[in-house]
Amino acid sequence: MTAQDELTGAALSIRAVSKTFVTKPVLRSIDLVVPAGEAVCLCGINGAGKSTLLRVIAGLLRPDSGSITIQGYELRREPEKSRRQLGMISHASMAYPELTVSENLAFAARLYDVPRRAERIEELLTSTGLTSYRHDRAGILSRGLLQRLAIARALLHRPAVLLADEPFTGLDAGATEDVRVIFDRFVRDGGTILMTTHDLRLGLQCCRRAAVLDRGVLILDARTEKIDAQRFLDDYLSYARSMS
Amino acid sequence: MWLGLRAILIKDIVVELRARQVLPTMVVLGMLIVFILRMASESASAGAGAPVMGAAALWIAFLFSGLLAQERSFAAEQQNGCMDGLLLAPLDTGTIYLAKLLANIILLTIFEAVVVPLVLMAFHLRVVGWGRLAAVLLLGNLGISSVGTLFSAAVQLTRTRGALLSIVVLVLLMPMMIPASFALLVLFGALPERVIGSGSFAFVGSFQAAVAYMLAFDAIFTVASWLLFGVVVEE
Repeated sequence: MTAQDELTGAALSIRAVSKTFVTKPVLRSIDLVVPAGEAVCLCGINGAGKSTLLRVIAGLLRPDSGSITIQGYELRREPEKSRRQLGMISHASMAYPELTVSENLAFAARLYDVPRRAERIEELLTSTGLTSYRHDRAGILSRGLLQRLAIARALLHRPAVLLADEPFTGLDAGATEDVRVIFDRFVRDGGTILMTTHDLRLGLQCCRRAAVLDRGVLILDARTEKIDAQRFLDDYLSYARSMS
Repeated sequence: MWLGLRAILIKDIVVELRARQVLPTMVVLGMLIVFILRMASESASAGAGAPVMGAAALWIAFLFSGLLAQERSFAAEQQNGCMDGLLLAPLDTGTIYLAKLLANIILLTIFEAVVVPLVLMAFHLRVVGWGRLAAVLLLGNLGISSVGTLFSAAVQLTRTRGALLSIVVLVLLMPMMIPASFALLVLFGALPERVIGSGSFAFVGSFQAAVAYMLAFDAIFTVASWLLFGVVVEE
Protein backbone atom coordinates (compact mmCIF):
# COMPACT_ATOMS: atom_id res chain seq x y z
CA MET A 1 0.00 0.00 0.00
CA THR A 2 1.31 3.46 -0.83
CA ALA A 3 1.76 5.91 2.03
CA GLN A 4 -1.09 7.98 0.64
CA ASP A 5 -3.44 4.98 0.49
CA GLU A 6 -2.50 4.10 4.05
CA LEU A 7 -3.35 7.60 5.22
CA THR A 8 -6.68 7.66 3.40
CA GLY A 9 -7.54 4.05 4.33
CA ALA A 10 -8.09 3.20 0.67
CA ALA A 11 -9.60 -0.20 -0.01
CA LEU A 12 -9.18 0.25 -3.74
CA SER A 13 -6.58 2.41 -5.37
CA ILE A 14 -6.33 2.84 -9.14
CA ARG A 15 -3.37 4.87 -10.35
CA ALA A 16 -2.85 6.02 -13.95
CA VAL A 17 -4.44 2.93 -15.45
CA SER A 18 -4.60 2.83 -19.24
CA LYS A 19 -5.75 0.11 -21.59
CA THR A 20 -5.84 -0.04 -25.37
CA PHE A 21 -7.58 -2.68 -27.49
CA VAL A 22 -5.48 -3.03 -30.66
CA THR A 23 -5.33 0.67 -31.58
CA LYS A 24 -8.38 1.93 -29.70
CA PRO A 25 -7.68 3.45 -26.27
CA VAL A 26 -10.41 2.25 -23.90
CA LEU A 27 -9.07 3.58 -20.59
CA ARG A 28 -6.88 6.68 -20.44
CA SER A 29 -4.86 7.25 -17.29
CA ILE A 30 -7.65 6.53 -14.80
CA ASP A 31 -7.09 7.57 -11.20
CA LEU A 32 -9.61 6.54 -8.58
CA VAL A 33 -9.18 5.94 -4.87
CA VAL A 34 -12.06 4.40 -2.91
CA PRO A 35 -11.87 4.23 0.90
CA ALA A 36 -13.22 1.28 2.88
CA GLY A 37 -16.96 1.46 3.53
CA GLU A 38 -17.78 3.53 0.46
CA ALA A 39 -19.93 2.72 -2.57
CA VAL A 40 -19.09 4.34 -5.89
CA CYS A 41 -21.40 4.37 -8.86
CA LEU A 42 -19.56 4.33 -12.17
CA CYS A 43 -21.64 5.84 -14.96
CA GLY A 44 -21.08 6.21 -18.65
CA ILE A 45 -22.68 5.43 -21.96
CA ASN A 46 -22.11 2.12 -23.75
CA GLY A 47 -18.47 1.84 -24.75
CA ALA A 48 -17.27 4.36 -22.19
CA GLY A 49 -14.97 1.73 -20.64
CA LYS A 50 -16.90 0.87 -17.45
CA SER A 51 -16.84 -2.92 -17.84
CA THR A 52 -13.25 -2.84 -19.06
CA LEU A 53 -12.22 -0.90 -15.96
CA LEU A 54 -13.92 -3.47 -13.70
CA ARG A 55 -12.26 -6.36 -15.58
CA VAL A 56 -8.86 -4.66 -15.27
CA ILE A 57 -9.40 -4.20 -11.52
CA ALA A 58 -10.44 -7.86 -11.24
CA GLY A 59 -7.23 -8.95 -12.96
CA LEU A 60 -9.12 -10.43 -15.91
CA LEU A 61 -7.50 -7.91 -18.25
CA ARG A 62 -3.93 -6.68 -18.01
CA PRO A 63 -3.61 -2.88 -18.08
CA ASP A 64 -1.05 -1.38 -20.45
CA SER A 65 0.18 0.91 -17.70
CA GLY A 66 -0.66 2.02 -14.18
CA SER A 67 -1.17 0.11 -10.96
CA ILE A 68 -4.07 -1.26 -8.94
CA THR A 69 -3.95 -1.88 -5.21
CA ILE A 70 -6.67 -3.77 -3.36
CA GLN A 71 -6.59 -3.71 0.44
CA GLY A 72 -2.88 -2.96 0.28
CA TYR A 73 -2.02 -5.73 -2.16
CA GLU A 74 -0.67 -4.68 -5.52
CA LEU A 75 -2.57 -6.67 -8.14
CA ARG A 76 0.43 -7.47 -10.39
CA ARG A 77 2.82 -8.30 -7.56
CA GLU A 78 0.42 -10.27 -5.37
CA PRO A 79 -2.39 -11.41 -7.68
CA GLU A 80 -3.72 -14.21 -5.48
CA LYS A 81 -3.86 -12.11 -2.31
CA SER A 82 -5.48 -9.24 -4.23
CA ARG A 83 -8.10 -11.48 -5.83
CA ARG A 84 -9.01 -12.93 -2.44
CA GLN A 85 -10.09 -9.40 -1.42
CA LEU A 86 -12.39 -9.11 -4.44
CA GLY A 87 -15.90 -10.25 -5.21
CA MET A 88 -17.30 -9.72 -8.67
CA ILE A 89 -20.76 -9.65 -10.17
CA SER A 90 -20.54 -9.50 -13.96
CA HIS A 91 -22.99 -9.78 -16.84
CA ALA A 92 -22.61 -13.55 -16.66
CA SER A 93 -23.65 -15.56 -13.60
CA MET A 94 -20.46 -17.69 -13.46
CA ALA A 95 -22.76 -20.58 -12.46
CA TYR A 96 -22.48 -24.12 -13.85
CA PRO A 97 -25.90 -25.09 -15.27
CA GLU A 98 -25.44 -28.77 -14.35
CA LEU A 99 -24.82 -28.01 -10.65
CA THR A 100 -27.47 -27.03 -8.14
CA VAL A 101 -27.51 -23.65 -6.41
CA SER A 102 -25.92 -25.16 -3.27
CA GLU A 103 -23.32 -27.07 -5.28
CA ASN A 104 -22.33 -23.94 -7.20
CA LEU A 105 -21.81 -22.11 -3.91
CA ALA A 106 -19.98 -25.07 -2.37
CA PHE A 107 -17.63 -25.17 -5.37
CA ALA A 108 -16.87 -21.45 -5.06
CA ALA A 109 -16.39 -21.86 -1.29
CA ARG A 110 -13.75 -24.54 -1.91
CA LEU A 111 -11.96 -22.37 -4.47
CA TYR A 112 -11.70 -19.60 -1.86
CA ASP A 113 -11.12 -22.01 1.03
CA VAL A 114 -13.98 -20.39 2.97
CA PRO A 115 -14.00 -21.44 6.63
CA ARG A 116 -17.25 -23.04 7.97
CA ARG A 117 -18.50 -23.50 4.44
CA ALA A 118 -21.91 -24.99 5.20
CA GLU A 119 -22.83 -22.20 7.64
CA ARG A 120 -21.68 -19.47 5.29
CA ILE A 121 -23.58 -20.97 2.35
CA GLU A 122 -26.70 -21.21 4.51
CA GLU A 123 -26.28 -17.56 5.53
CA LEU A 124 -26.07 -16.41 1.91
CA LEU A 125 -28.92 -18.62 0.70
CA THR A 126 -31.08 -16.88 3.31
CA SER A 127 -29.89 -13.33 2.62
CA THR A 128 -30.30 -13.67 -1.15
CA GLY A 129 -33.66 -15.46 -0.89
CA LEU A 130 -32.42 -18.63 -2.54
CA THR A 131 -33.17 -21.09 0.28
CA SER A 132 -36.11 -22.72 -1.49
CA TYR A 133 -34.11 -23.04 -4.73
CA ARG A 134 -31.04 -24.64 -3.15
CA HIS A 135 -31.59 -28.02 -4.82
CA ASP A 136 -32.51 -26.57 -8.23
CA ARG A 137 -29.96 -26.78 -10.99
CA ALA A 138 -28.64 -23.38 -12.06
CA GLY A 139 -29.57 -24.23 -15.66
CA ILE A 140 -33.27 -23.95 -14.91
CA LEU A 141 -33.17 -20.72 -12.87
CA SER A 142 -34.67 -17.47 -14.17
CA ARG A 143 -32.44 -14.47 -14.93
CA GLY A 144 -33.37 -12.86 -11.63
CA LEU A 145 -32.57 -15.96 -9.58
CA LEU A 146 -29.30 -16.44 -11.44
CA GLN A 147 -28.38 -12.87 -10.57
CA ARG A 148 -29.09 -13.59 -6.89
CA LEU A 149 -26.86 -16.67 -7.16
CA ALA A 150 -24.13 -14.51 -8.74
CA ILE A 151 -24.40 -12.07 -5.81
CA ALA A 152 -24.27 -14.89 -3.26
CA ARG A 153 -21.20 -16.31 -5.02
CA ALA A 154 -19.48 -12.91 -5.07
CA LEU A 155 -20.05 -12.34 -1.32
CA LEU A 156 -19.33 -15.91 -0.22
CA HIS A 157 -15.69 -15.37 0.81
CA ARG A 158 -16.43 -12.05 2.57
CA PRO A 159 -14.54 -9.85 0.10
CA ALA A 160 -13.44 -6.36 1.10
CA VAL A 161 -14.22 -4.93 -2.32
CA LEU A 162 -17.22 -5.79 -4.47
CA LEU A 163 -17.13 -5.04 -8.19
CA ALA A 164 -20.64 -5.06 -9.63
CA ASP A 165 -21.21 -4.70 -13.36
CA GLU A 166 -24.88 -3.81 -13.90
CA PRO A 167 -26.02 -5.75 -10.81
CA PHE A 168 -29.69 -4.80 -11.19
CA THR A 169 -30.07 -6.06 -14.76
CA GLY A 170 -32.93 -8.52 -15.09
CA LEU A 171 -34.21 -8.03 -11.56
CA ASP A 172 -37.82 -7.14 -10.77
CA ALA A 173 -38.64 -4.35 -8.31
CA GLY A 174 -38.69 -6.67 -5.28
CA ALA A 175 -35.41 -8.33 -6.17
CA THR A 176 -33.82 -4.94 -6.86
CA GLU A 177 -34.81 -3.80 -3.40
CA ASP A 178 -33.41 -7.03 -1.89
CA VAL A 179 -30.09 -6.47 -3.67
CA ARG A 180 -30.00 -2.86 -2.48
CA VAL A 181 -30.48 -4.06 1.08
CA ILE A 182 -27.63 -6.58 0.65
CA PHE A 183 -25.36 -3.88 -0.75
CA ASP A 184 -26.28 -1.44 2.05
CA ARG A 185 -25.46 -4.08 4.65
CA PHE A 186 -22.19 -4.87 2.89
CA VAL A 187 -21.13 -1.19 2.94
CA ARG A 188 -22.31 -0.74 6.55
CA ASP A 189 -20.06 -3.65 7.52
CA GLY A 190 -17.07 -1.82 6.03
CA GLY A 191 -17.18 -3.22 2.51
CA THR A 192 -16.37 -1.20 -0.59
CA ILE A 193 -18.46 -1.27 -3.76
CA LEU A 194 -17.60 -0.10 -7.24
CA MET A 195 -20.61 -0.63 -9.45
CA THR A 196 -21.70 0.28 -12.92
CA THR A 197 -25.34 0.83 -13.75
CA HIS A 198 -27.50 2.20 -16.51
CA ASP A 199 -30.14 3.05 -13.92
CA LEU A 200 -28.56 6.29 -12.72
CA ARG A 201 -31.34 7.10 -10.28
CA LEU A 202 -30.81 3.75 -8.57
CA GLY A 203 -27.05 4.17 -8.72
CA LEU A 204 -27.22 7.55 -7.04
CA GLN A 205 -29.53 6.12 -4.36
CA CYS A 206 -27.16 3.24 -3.60
CA CYS A 207 -23.86 5.10 -3.63
CA ARG A 208 -22.29 8.00 -1.81
CA ARG A 209 -20.08 8.79 -4.75
CA ALA A 210 -20.58 8.97 -8.50
CA ALA A 211 -17.92 8.83 -11.19
CA VAL A 212 -18.52 9.36 -14.88
CA LEU A 213 -16.40 7.74 -17.59
CA ASP A 214 -16.42 9.21 -21.06
CA ARG A 215 -14.49 7.46 -23.83
CA GLY A 216 -12.04 6.09 -21.29
CA VAL A 217 -11.54 9.33 -19.38
CA LEU A 218 -12.84 9.92 -15.86
CA ILE A 219 -14.61 13.27 -16.34
CA LEU A 220 -16.43 13.50 -12.99
CA ASP A 221 -15.81 12.11 -9.53
CA ALA A 222 -18.03 13.66 -6.85
CA ARG A 223 -19.94 12.79 -3.70
CA THR A 224 -23.62 12.27 -4.45
CA GLU A 225 -24.78 14.65 -1.68
CA LYS A 226 -22.96 17.43 -3.53
CA ILE A 227 -24.72 16.58 -6.77
CA ASP A 228 -28.10 17.96 -7.71
CA ALA A 229 -29.45 14.53 -8.66
CA GLN A 230 -32.17 15.75 -11.01
CA ARG A 231 -29.87 18.13 -12.83
CA PHE A 232 -27.15 15.49 -13.02
CA LEU A 233 -29.61 13.02 -14.52
CA ASP A 234 -30.95 15.56 -17.03
CA ASP A 235 -27.45 16.61 -18.09
CA TYR A 236 -26.33 13.03 -18.31
CA LEU A 237 -29.32 11.95 -20.39
CA SER A 238 -28.96 14.82 -22.84
CA TYR A 239 -25.24 14.04 -23.13
CA ALA A 240 -25.95 10.33 -23.71
CA ARG A 241 -28.51 11.21 -26.39
CA SER A 242 -26.08 13.53 -28.14
CA MET A 243 -23.48 10.73 -28.23
CA SER A 244 -25.85 8.03 -29.56
CA MET B 1 -3.53 -25.26 -4.12
CA TRP B 2 -4.71 -28.85 -3.45
CA LEU B 3 -8.15 -27.75 -2.25
CA GLY B 4 -8.68 -25.68 -5.42
CA LEU B 5 -7.32 -28.44 -7.65
CA ARG B 6 -9.57 -31.03 -5.99
CA ALA B 7 -12.58 -28.71 -6.21
CA ILE B 8 -12.15 -28.13 -9.96
CA LEU B 9 -11.44 -31.82 -10.64
CA ILE B 10 -14.52 -33.03 -8.73
CA LYS B 11 -16.66 -30.31 -10.30
CA ASP B 12 -15.56 -31.35 -13.81
CA ILE B 13 -16.36 -35.00 -13.13
CA VAL B 14 -19.76 -34.22 -11.56
CA VAL B 15 -20.63 -31.90 -14.48
CA GLU B 16 -19.67 -34.63 -16.99
CA LEU B 17 -21.62 -37.31 -15.11
CA ARG B 18 -24.70 -35.06 -15.13
CA ALA B 19 -24.37 -33.67 -18.66
CA ARG B 20 -23.17 -36.99 -20.18
CA GLN B 21 -21.92 -35.06 -23.18
CA VAL B 22 -18.32 -36.07 -23.66
CA LEU B 23 -17.78 -39.69 -22.63
CA PRO B 24 -20.61 -41.26 -24.67
CA THR B 25 -19.50 -39.29 -27.76
CA MET B 26 -15.89 -40.36 -27.19
CA VAL B 27 -16.88 -44.02 -26.91
CA VAL B 28 -19.08 -43.91 -30.03
CA LEU B 29 -16.31 -42.17 -32.02
CA GLY B 30 -13.72 -44.67 -30.74
CA MET B 31 -15.89 -47.66 -31.62
CA LEU B 32 -16.53 -46.20 -35.05
CA ILE B 33 -12.80 -45.79 -35.71
CA VAL B 34 -12.08 -49.35 -34.54
CA PHE B 35 -14.96 -50.71 -36.62
CA ILE B 36 -13.84 -48.90 -39.80
CA LEU B 37 -10.22 -49.98 -39.45
CA ARG B 38 -11.31 -53.52 -38.65
CA MET B 39 -13.42 -53.62 -41.82
CA ALA B 40 -10.61 -52.08 -43.87
CA SER B 41 -8.13 -54.67 -42.62
CA GLU B 42 -10.45 -57.67 -43.03
CA SER B 43 -7.95 -59.56 -45.14
CA ALA B 44 -5.07 -58.83 -42.77
CA SER B 45 -6.89 -59.44 -39.50
CA ALA B 46 -5.61 -62.93 -38.98
CA GLY B 47 -2.18 -62.30 -40.45
CA ALA B 48 0.86 -60.20 -39.74
CA GLY B 49 -0.98 -56.92 -40.52
CA ALA B 50 -3.39 -57.23 -37.58
CA PRO B 51 -1.01 -55.83 -34.91
CA VAL B 52 -0.18 -52.89 -37.17
CA MET B 53 -3.85 -52.10 -37.75
CA GLY B 54 -4.64 -52.69 -34.06
CA ALA B 55 -1.95 -50.24 -32.92
CA ALA B 56 -3.10 -47.70 -35.49
CA ALA B 57 -6.74 -48.12 -34.41
CA LEU B 58 -5.83 -47.55 -30.76
CA TRP B 59 -3.79 -44.39 -31.27
CA ILE B 60 -6.19 -42.89 -33.83
CA ALA B 61 -9.11 -43.54 -31.47
CA PHE B 62 -7.23 -42.03 -28.49
CA LEU B 63 -6.13 -39.00 -30.47
CA PHE B 64 -9.49 -38.03 -31.90
CA SER B 65 -11.60 -38.93 -28.88
CA GLY B 66 -9.07 -37.18 -26.65
CA LEU B 67 -9.30 -34.04 -28.76
CA LEU B 68 -13.07 -34.16 -28.48
CA ALA B 69 -12.93 -34.34 -24.68
CA GLN B 70 -10.32 -31.59 -24.39
CA GLU B 71 -12.20 -29.27 -26.71
CA ARG B 72 -15.26 -29.66 -24.46
CA SER B 73 -13.36 -29.16 -21.21
CA PHE B 74 -12.89 -25.40 -21.74
CA ALA B 75 -15.95 -24.87 -23.93
CA ALA B 76 -17.96 -25.80 -20.81
CA GLU B 77 -16.16 -23.07 -18.86
CA GLN B 78 -17.08 -20.47 -21.46
CA GLN B 79 -20.81 -20.73 -20.76
CA ASN B 80 -22.09 -18.25 -18.16
CA GLY B 81 -18.60 -16.76 -17.84
CA CYS B 82 -17.47 -19.66 -15.63
CA MET B 83 -13.88 -19.23 -16.82
CA ASP B 84 -13.90 -15.74 -15.31
CA GLY B 85 -15.11 -17.33 -12.08
CA LEU B 86 -12.06 -19.63 -12.08
CA LEU B 87 -9.64 -16.84 -12.97
CA LEU B 88 -11.04 -14.61 -10.22
CA ALA B 89 -10.36 -17.25 -7.57
CA PRO B 90 -7.16 -16.92 -5.52
CA LEU B 91 -5.48 -19.76 -7.36
CA ASP B 92 -2.50 -19.62 -9.64
CA THR B 93 -3.42 -20.44 -13.23
CA GLY B 94 -1.16 -23.50 -13.12
CA THR B 95 -3.53 -25.09 -10.60
CA ILE B 96 -6.46 -24.61 -12.98
CA TYR B 97 -4.39 -26.25 -15.74
CA LEU B 98 -3.43 -29.22 -13.56
CA ALA B 99 -7.04 -29.79 -12.47
CA LYS B 100 -8.26 -29.68 -16.08
CA LEU B 101 -5.40 -31.96 -17.16
CA LEU B 102 -6.29 -34.52 -14.49
CA ALA B 103 -9.97 -34.43 -15.48
CA ASN B 104 -9.01 -35.05 -19.12
CA ILE B 105 -6.64 -37.88 -18.15
CA ILE B 106 -9.42 -39.55 -16.13
CA LEU B 107 -11.89 -39.27 -19.03
CA LEU B 108 -9.37 -40.69 -21.50
CA THR B 109 -8.48 -43.51 -19.08
CA ILE B 110 -12.14 -44.52 -18.82
CA PHE B 111 -12.32 -44.39 -22.61
CA GLU B 112 -9.18 -46.55 -22.89
CA ALA B 113 -10.70 -49.10 -20.53
CA VAL B 114 -13.57 -49.52 -22.99
CA VAL B 115 -11.68 -49.34 -26.28
CA VAL B 116 -8.53 -51.40 -25.53
CA PRO B 117 -10.39 -54.71 -24.93
CA LEU B 118 -12.48 -53.95 -28.01
CA VAL B 119 -9.38 -53.54 -30.20
CA LEU B 120 -7.70 -56.62 -28.73
CA MET B 121 -10.78 -58.70 -29.55
CA ALA B 122 -11.47 -57.13 -32.95
CA PHE B 123 -7.92 -57.67 -34.21
CA HIS B 124 -7.27 -60.94 -32.32
CA LEU B 125 -4.19 -59.47 -30.62
CA ARG B 126 -2.01 -61.02 -27.95
CA VAL B 127 -0.25 -58.68 -25.56
CA VAL B 128 3.36 -59.26 -24.49
CA GLY B 129 3.31 -57.72 -20.99
CA TRP B 130 0.10 -56.16 -19.67
CA GLY B 131 1.94 -53.93 -17.23
CA ARG B 132 4.03 -52.48 -20.03
CA LEU B 133 0.90 -51.96 -22.13
CA ALA B 134 -0.73 -50.02 -19.26
CA ALA B 135 2.42 -47.89 -18.88
CA VAL B 136 2.59 -47.08 -22.62
CA LEU B 137 -1.12 -46.20 -22.72
CA LEU B 138 -0.77 -43.99 -19.65
CA LEU B 139 2.21 -42.15 -21.15
CA GLY B 140 0.30 -41.67 -24.41
CA ASN B 141 -2.72 -40.47 -22.45
CA LEU B 142 -0.58 -37.91 -20.55
CA GLY B 143 1.03 -36.64 -23.76
CA ILE B 144 -2.28 -36.23 -25.61
CA SER B 145 -3.97 -34.64 -22.59
CA SER B 146 -1.16 -32.23 -21.66
CA VAL B 147 -0.94 -30.69 -25.13
CA GLY B 148 -4.68 -30.89 -25.79
CA THR B 149 -5.63 -29.23 -22.49
CA LEU B 150 -3.38 -26.23 -23.16
CA PHE B 151 -4.58 -25.75 -26.71
CA SER B 152 -8.24 -26.28 -25.90
CA ALA B 153 -7.92 -23.26 -23.59
CA ALA B 154 -6.09 -21.29 -26.30
CA VAL B 155 -8.61 -21.94 -29.05
CA GLN B 156 -11.50 -20.71 -26.94
CA LEU B 157 -10.30 -17.23 -27.93
CA THR B 158 -10.40 -18.01 -31.65
CA ARG B 159 -13.30 -18.62 -34.02
CA THR B 160 -11.91 -21.73 -35.65
CA ARG B 161 -11.95 -23.57 -32.31
CA GLY B 162 -12.03 -27.35 -32.83
CA ALA B 163 -10.44 -27.26 -36.27
CA LEU B 164 -7.49 -25.23 -35.05
CA LEU B 165 -7.12 -27.41 -31.96
CA SER B 166 -6.91 -30.57 -34.07
CA ILE B 167 -4.34 -29.11 -36.45
CA VAL B 168 -2.01 -27.74 -33.78
CA VAL B 169 -2.30 -30.68 -31.40
CA LEU B 170 -1.80 -33.30 -34.11
CA VAL B 171 1.34 -31.56 -35.35
CA LEU B 172 2.73 -31.21 -31.84
CA LEU B 173 1.98 -34.83 -30.97
CA MET B 174 3.83 -36.25 -33.98
CA PRO B 175 7.16 -36.65 -32.12
CA MET B 176 5.39 -38.76 -29.49
CA MET B 177 3.31 -40.86 -31.87
CA ILE B 178 6.34 -42.50 -33.52
CA PRO B 179 7.77 -44.04 -30.29
CA ALA B 180 4.20 -44.67 -29.07
CA SER B 181 3.40 -46.70 -32.20
CA PHE B 182 6.75 -48.50 -31.93
CA ALA B 183 6.02 -49.48 -28.32
CA LEU B 184 2.56 -50.84 -29.13
CA LEU B 185 3.89 -52.81 -32.09
CA VAL B 186 6.48 -54.41 -29.80
CA LEU B 187 3.80 -55.23 -27.23
CA PHE B 188 1.54 -56.73 -29.93
CA GLY B 189 4.42 -58.87 -31.18
CA ALA B 190 4.79 -57.16 -34.58
CA LEU B 191 8.28 -55.81 -33.92
CA PRO B 192 11.25 -57.16 -31.93
CA GLU B 193 12.32 -55.32 -28.78
CA ARG B 194 15.24 -53.80 -30.69
CA VAL B 195 15.19 -52.61 -34.32
CA ILE B 196 18.35 -51.91 -36.28
CA GLY B 197 18.54 -50.33 -39.74
CA SER B 198 16.98 -47.24 -41.23
CA GLY B 199 13.55 -45.61 -41.00
CA SER B 200 11.61 -43.98 -38.20
CA PHE B 201 11.30 -47.13 -36.09
CA ALA B 202 15.02 -47.82 -36.34
CA PHE B 203 15.51 -44.24 -35.18
CA VAL B 204 13.57 -45.14 -32.01
CA GLY B 205 15.76 -48.23 -31.63
CA SER B 206 14.25 -50.20 -28.76
CA PHE B 207 11.20 -50.51 -26.52
CA GLN B 208 13.09 -48.90 -23.63
CA ALA B 209 14.10 -45.98 -25.85
CA ALA B 210 10.50 -45.58 -27.05
CA VAL B 211 9.27 -45.37 -23.46
CA ALA B 212 12.08 -42.93 -22.64
CA TYR B 213 11.10 -40.72 -25.60
CA MET B 214 7.47 -40.73 -24.44
CA LEU B 215 8.50 -39.92 -20.87
CA ALA B 216 10.65 -37.01 -22.06
CA PHE B 217 7.86 -35.72 -24.31
CA ASP B 218 5.34 -35.88 -21.45
CA ALA B 219 7.68 -34.19 -19.00
CA ILE B 220 8.59 -31.36 -21.40
CA PHE B 221 5.06 -30.69 -22.61
CA THR B 222 3.36 -31.02 -19.23
CA VAL B 223 5.77 -28.58 -17.58
CA ALA B 224 5.75 -26.19 -20.56
CA SER B 225 1.94 -26.24 -20.76
CA TRP B 226 1.65 -25.69 -17.01
CA LEU B 227 3.95 -22.66 -17.26
CA LEU B 228 2.32 -21.27 -20.41
CA PHE B 229 -1.28 -21.68 -19.29
CA GLY B 230 -1.41 -18.29 -17.56
CA VAL B 231 -0.27 -16.52 -20.72
CA VAL B 232 -2.78 -18.44 -22.84
CA VAL B 233 -5.85 -17.67 -20.74
CA GLU B 234 -5.02 -14.04 -20.13
CA GLU B 235 -6.97 -11.80 -22.50
